[in-house]
Amino acid sequence: MTPLLETVGLSKRFGGLLAVNEVALRVDPGEIRALIGPNGAGKTTLVGMICGRLAPSAGRILYGGADITALRPWERLMQGIVYTFQVTSIFKGLSCYENVALPAQRRMMRSLASRIVLPEQQVAERVHAALGAVGLGDVAGQRSDALAYGHQRLLEIAMALAAEPRLLILDEPTQGLAESEIAQFCELVRTIAQRATVLLIEHNMAVVLALAQRITVMDAGAILAEGSPSEIERHPAVQKAYLGR
Amino acid sequence: MTGRALPSVIALHVAVIAVLFAIQFLLPDYHHTNVARILVLATYALGYNLLLGYTGLMSLGHAMFFAAGMYGAGLPVYYFGFGAPAALASGIAAGVAVSALFGWMALRTSGVSFLIVSLMFAQAFYLASLYFNEITLGDQGFILSQNLAPLAIGGASIAFHEPALKYNGALALFAVGVLGMLALRVSPVGRVLIAIRENEERTRLLGYDSFRYKLLALVLSGGLAAAAGATYALLFSYVGSTFASILYSIYPLLWTLLGGIGTILGPLVGTGLMFYLVDIASGFTSAYLLVVGVALVALVLWFPQGILGMVRKRWLPWLP
Repeated sequence: MTPLLETVGLSKRFGGLLAVNEVALRVDPGEIRALIGPNGAGKTTLVGMICGRLAPSAGRILYGGADITALRPWERLMQGIVYTFQVTSIFKGLSCYENVALPAQRRMMRSLASRIVLPEQQVAERVHAALGAVGLGDVAGQRSDALAYGHQRLLEIAMALAAEPRLLILDEPTQGLAESEIAQFCELVRTIAQRATVLLIEHNMAVVLALAQRITVMDAGAILAEGSPSEIERHPAVQKAYLGR
Repeated sequence: MTGRALPSVIALHVAVIAVLFAIQFLLPDYHHTNVARILVLATYALGYNLLLGYTGLMSLGHAMFFAAGMYGAGLPVYYFGFGAPAALASGIAAGVAVSALFGWMALRTSGVSFLIVSLMFAQAFYLASLYFNEITLGDQGFILSQNLAPLAIGGASIAFHEPALKYNGALALFAVGVLGMLALRVSPVGRVLIAIRENEERTRLLGYDSFRYKLLALVLSGGLAAAAGATYALLFSYVGSTFASILYSIYPLLWTLLGGIGTILGPLVGTGLMFYLVDIASGFTSAYLLVVGVALVALVLWFPQGILGMVRKRWLPWLP
């Protein structure tokens, strides 16, 4: 099977720091893959290169078998690579509705005419579907910066859903969520995974073990181990470096 | 913008245009001319506000676009005897060309760097308009009334010194500007521009090539400024390099800030208020700029969002 995503010798250097060092990551279509590792392991840098936020220093990125290393971030989104930020990056001055409407209208803007005028009803349907999916259906009219931090994280996910992802990259999505909300969140990710491949960066091991089919462990910019949740739990190097046992 | 507020938004803006049309029959001569001038300058500020208020780019070089429209319209009238419609078209074309070229180079910068770069380009444009004074006649300028043929509407022909033509020409320009801004504001593109203002990186990662959208905003903004410059030249019959000076880059910034940045009618309110503030103050004292300065300080202290910005915040949250 062709992997949905494959990185070949992918590296990122910031001055003297080698943040990501020749990483070869393969993600199959339809899986939920967790990416774990201590702070500074290079997880966010790695996915930053995958979504096009950062340019790699070396290496290539293949998506559905095609080389996308040279594609700009907006072109990658149109191919279905959608990223949700680790540090919440919503449009704070705008309503939740407007936050989600921006990605929701993107795929509808195909012709010149559709850039000038769109049926707002269709945009609204997509917006309400995405907000409803994350449980923010009744705050559409509220300004997004009035939301609690955990709900701003959910708004990020609604924005990503509205963009119709094929590969959804979630960067520490449960940060700031209450315990009761985390169970709902896991349910949401499972629903999303029916249609999209999910690459999940997560520190909460309970969430990782509940969701991921495979886990990739990074440390110091390189992949330390990869395997099923039970393999990873038993892996001695992982226990030493990450789980601290 | 959600659909529910849209009918009242359109009604409000159409009503403002209708009121402006009606008051021409009531205004004394002096104010009649003033309001015509305000409407043209407010259209200039509308274009400025498109860039500052809706896209988040602060320029100090818009005089370059205003003057490009002015020279683009005025020079062909003066030298080649262009009629008014052709002159207006060539003025807008000049502004679009200048803003596209400028944007292609300058939009690699943003924030303060963009401000400085726009200032530098505009100064170069201003100095060029002085340097080539054999053609432009520099800061002495030239008068168009000898060369401009009367405007033919239907079977009638109306001379450009007719106050009714000045007023309604200015109002037509302003109406096109306001309704165009409103259409842009509620369009998918308008949503992208506002998103760029709020958070450019996020907008890029949601599938939008922000450079292209900023270039589009700059060309529309420069085109509207040029349309105002061309109309000003045609209606008030004068073209001179004063209009390319830094002062005419600062004015639309002040008008927009005073009226309400990022509101569609703000530029009209700001331009009108500032015009009459200067007009009234200069009747009492030669230090009228001091009065303007005090008014601006008060504005920044108490209404940092401008007059319509405050109205929107307190009473009319749906105001675009």
